[in-house]
Amino acid sequence: METPQIDNNATSNNRVIDLSHHLSDEARIRVANPLKDIMRVISECPVTDLITMANGDPHHSLYPFQQIMYEVPSIQDPSDPVTSWNNSGRTQIFHSYRDQECALPIRNAFQYSRAAGLVPCKDALTNFTNLIFAPPNHHVMLTFGNSDGLTKVFRIFGQKGDHFLTDEFSYPGITNCPLPYGVKWVGIKMDSGGIIPEELEKVLIRWDEAKLGRRPRLLYLVPVGQNPTGSTLSVDRRKKIYAIAQIWDLIIVEDDPYYFLRYNVPQTNCASADPDEFIENFRSTLIPTFLSMDVDGRVLRLDTFSKVLAPGMRLGWITSNKLFHLKLGEYTDSSTQPPHAFGQMFVTEMLSEHGWKIDGFCRWLRSLCLDYQNRLDFLLDVFQREVEPTGYAKRMFVWIEVFFEKHPRFVRERCSGGSPVVARTNTECLLKELIERLMSIHGVVFMPASTFAIPENALWVESDGHVPLSDRTRFLRATFAGTEDIIEKGMIRLGKGLREFFQE
Amino acid sequence: MVFLPSATSATSAADVGLKRSHVDYSRYLSAEARSRLPNPIKSIWKAAQVKPGTINMGNGDPHHTLYPISEVNFVVPSIDEHDPVQSWRSGTGEQNIISSYKDELCALSLRTAFAYGAGAGLKDVRDALADLNDRIHSPPNHTVSLSLGNADALTKCFRLLGDPGDSFLCEEFTFSAMTNAALPLGIEWVPIRMDNNGLVPSDLERILSSWDEAKQGKRPHVLYTIPCSQNPTGSTLSLERRQQIYQIAHDWDIIILEDDPYFFLQYDLGMSQSTIQQYGHTRAMAEVLPRSFLSMDYDGRVMRLDSFSKIVAPGMRLGWVTSNSYFADKLDMLTDSSSQHPHGMGQAFVAELLGSNGWGVDGFMKWILSLCNEYQRRRDLFMDVFRQKVATSGFASAEVPQSGMFVWIKSGPTTNTADLMDELFRKLLNNGLVMMPASTFAIADRTGTMGSHINDRVNFFRATFVGTDETIRNGLATFGRTLEEFFL
Repeated sequence: METPQIDNNATSNNRVIDLSHHLSDEARIRVANPLKDIMRVISECPVTDLITMANGDPHHSLYPFQQIMYEVPSIQDPSDPVTSWNNSGRTQIFHSYRDQECALPIRNAFQYSRAAGLVPCKDALTNFTNLIFAPPNHHVMLTFGNSDGLTKVFRIFGQKGDHFLTDEFSYPGITNCPLPYGVKWVGIKMDSGGIIPEELEKVLIRWDEAKLGRRPRLLYLVPVGQNPTGSTLSVDRRKKIYAIAQIWDLIIVEDDPYYFLRYNVPQTNCASADPDEFIENFRSTLIPTFLSMDVDGRVLRLDTFSKVLAPGMRLGWITSNKLFHLKLGEYTDSSTQPPHAFGQMFVTEMLSEHGWKIDGFCRWLRSLCLDYQNRLDFLLDVFQREVEPTGYAKRMFVWIEVFFEKHPRFVRERCSGGSPVVARTNTECLLKELIERLMSIHGVVFMPASTFAIPENALWVESDGHVPLSDRTRFLRATFAGTEDIIEKGMIRLGKGLREFFQE
Repeated sequence: MVFLPSATSATSAADVGLKRSHVDYSRYLSAEARSRLPNPIKSIWKAAQVKPGTINMGNGDPHHTLYPISEVNFVVPSIDEHDPVQSWRSGTGEQNIISSYKDELCALSLRTAFAYGAGAGLKDVRDALADLNDRIHSPPNHTVSLSLGNADALTKCFRLLGDPGDSFLCEEFTFSAMTNAALPLGIEWVPIRMDNNGLVPSDLERILSSWDEAKQGKRPHVLYTIPCSQNPTGSTLSLERRQQIYQIAHDWDIIILEDDPYFFLQYDLGMSQSTIQQYGHTRAMAEVLPRSFLSMDYDGRVMRLDSFSKIVAPGMRLGWVTSNSYFADKLDMLTDSSSQHPHGMGQAFVAELLGSNGWGVDGFMKWILSLCNEYQRRRDLFMDVFRQKVATSGFASAEVPQSGMFVWIKSGPTTNTADLMDELFRKLLNNGLVMMPASTFAIADRTGTMGSHINDRVNFFRATFVGTDETIRNGLATFGRTLEEFFL
């Protein structure tokens, strides 16, 4: 099978890097839709007015939709649409029409489409991506959200026996996904600033291919509001990580659902009514992405509407180099097909002239960020009032560290030698106990760090001085997506629960 | 350590059903499906639902007050029209507005529809479709899971049931875009001979009974079939054939993947008007629609795939899978590990449409009946024009399809078939007509037991009659003309 005839990764400085060796066997074997050849022959046919009796597509006159209207916040108030929305502010209507003009008409939106998605939607998101992220040379493909996107990415790069790299505390809803087909994870040490580049390098240098199989070639990161630790990678760390990726030929999968909800961001005079000025200001508050520095084409960036519109939107997009874009498109055609008309219509109208436009969407994003910031600040206030004084916990964002060594039943074994990854304390047991008591006695639920811990393998950690992950699993993850009332009650219950747990 | 769900949380309806039926379905699963665990976060989330008043600070879900959509209105045809599709097409009919709200009462609140959910889809929607299933198929004991349409459902079933090296059975002419999707998974296809009436049961039997595991690998345990308006041949399996096939599946322990997107587009139904008046459209349709494999599935070996693509619109990206509860559970785990539950707007729309403020199930069946009439009209026009402009020359013939969108036109040479068909296809193209040549859909036999190479039997075109009347008339005129040029 010949490789696709495309200029793979012609970069802005014309370096062509061939990354096709990263593809899984499955991705390599997958052929484009067999009808594609015929479609090509058909499209190359010089005859105009071609009559087609080829496809089983219902005619658009039979779609039972003439119009769809969506009531949304009005973005007229440039300063704080989210607060207006929650206080019965003005609303506006987006329209999708079948027969009248709109950004993505019903008669086109409900047809079968292929690969990357419907052109108007894809174009709208490409414009947004180019404006906000300025990728060097990449292409946009629509997904059903980041779970969909990520699991497709894993399938085109991973197969049995492979190892992927990620943070040592990670979201198992995603990391569990490739396990059934034989991909394993290597957790890299973190601190409050996220993954530690030097630790990443150490693992790669130490990797023994004879014992462990092929060196890991894919790094999965959530660089803003990492789940569960809440950390955000600094620009300096991102550059270091990218450099490591270049040296060790890694693919970087940038999963960024919280990108626009970054906290403690210096708010410049961002409420300007002038669209271009607003966008300029908005962009200046954003942290540079891996995508924006991707001269090699080794980054796949995943954006989603789940946290900024709604989880049930089931829409997102992947920005990647042309080869990976084509391969993802082929896989989409061989599986889910491109996303639903409803979502594509909504987003296209939203970003269009008749909708919020890009600057309006950015106003919504900024306003949302401020709202979450307020809730976080409130949580931190109440935390300081109700929990910190107990002396049993400290928050690192909302990754709450609990000092289990202060517990009367804390046990540390004095032993040396043996496996560097086996637990030497009963931290995990105490954590489990605390979680259960908080839930059943005090009526408050947190996620224990153990849920997120990537199992370690003695073969890839340093034998001297390594503290087993199990002994460092001493955190609770809390979220602040609820109302202030809920946040306050939750923190009060946590304070009470900690006191009772430690003073037994 | 990665959190593993405790033993108790695994005791689900699936296990109860399993014990009741004394069947171990796990042996059909791929290695991947067997080793897949449920989403651990969802286990904790479920545990948090137990005690009232529990404050959940564990999950990262945006609050519904921050969803920027408070209302969605869909302008749809009124189902009160005598012939809703005709009224809709001519623009003369009334319209209805179907509404979904976030903060007001409706069938499925946007608060729920726009939140995260389980892979199977929202209960309201699943229940509505299970009710439809009951009224049409009366399945013995099955569970409904939502899908993103049949391509999504089918390719997930491939992952669920197939290991690399497995052989799956299919019709010798089939929807090759889908069978091709299975190839990178290491699945190989074993084609079954077809005649005018679809797949030939005796050939299915022959393949299975003569299977030599030493030479050919594991005996096939999955059959992929499109029983109505088979793609591409347009045939619909008779009740007798379906019963024979089910019996063979029972004898040889085969899972049947019933891919049925055209099921509701049936012609020459002869529906009883008095039944419609007395019992409504659903009952009247149920009496005349073909008996599905699902309806006879006492073993729990059928996975039936239904889709809204052909009866609402392709861009709905919504469908439903009906299977035994064990398979449904495993399928949902795969969904939770990949694409996640279907989109909120689609689920909200279906819930409203089938609910009491919308068309209701009977109204939906009325729309479908009206669609059938419209497609039948086009089919009849196609066959009329075909007889006049094409069949008279003697160079082509076609059976009248009983359902769906396809006409399987027998034509072309019977020697050098593949090459000459290619030439004919290009000639048609140059004359301004596109029809799909059979070779696009042909599955070559690798077992070497078939007796003839499929390339000798690809003298067919698949044509559709979904276009305008003009398309049908002009297209067939071109076809007839081109045949004469080619053969004379």
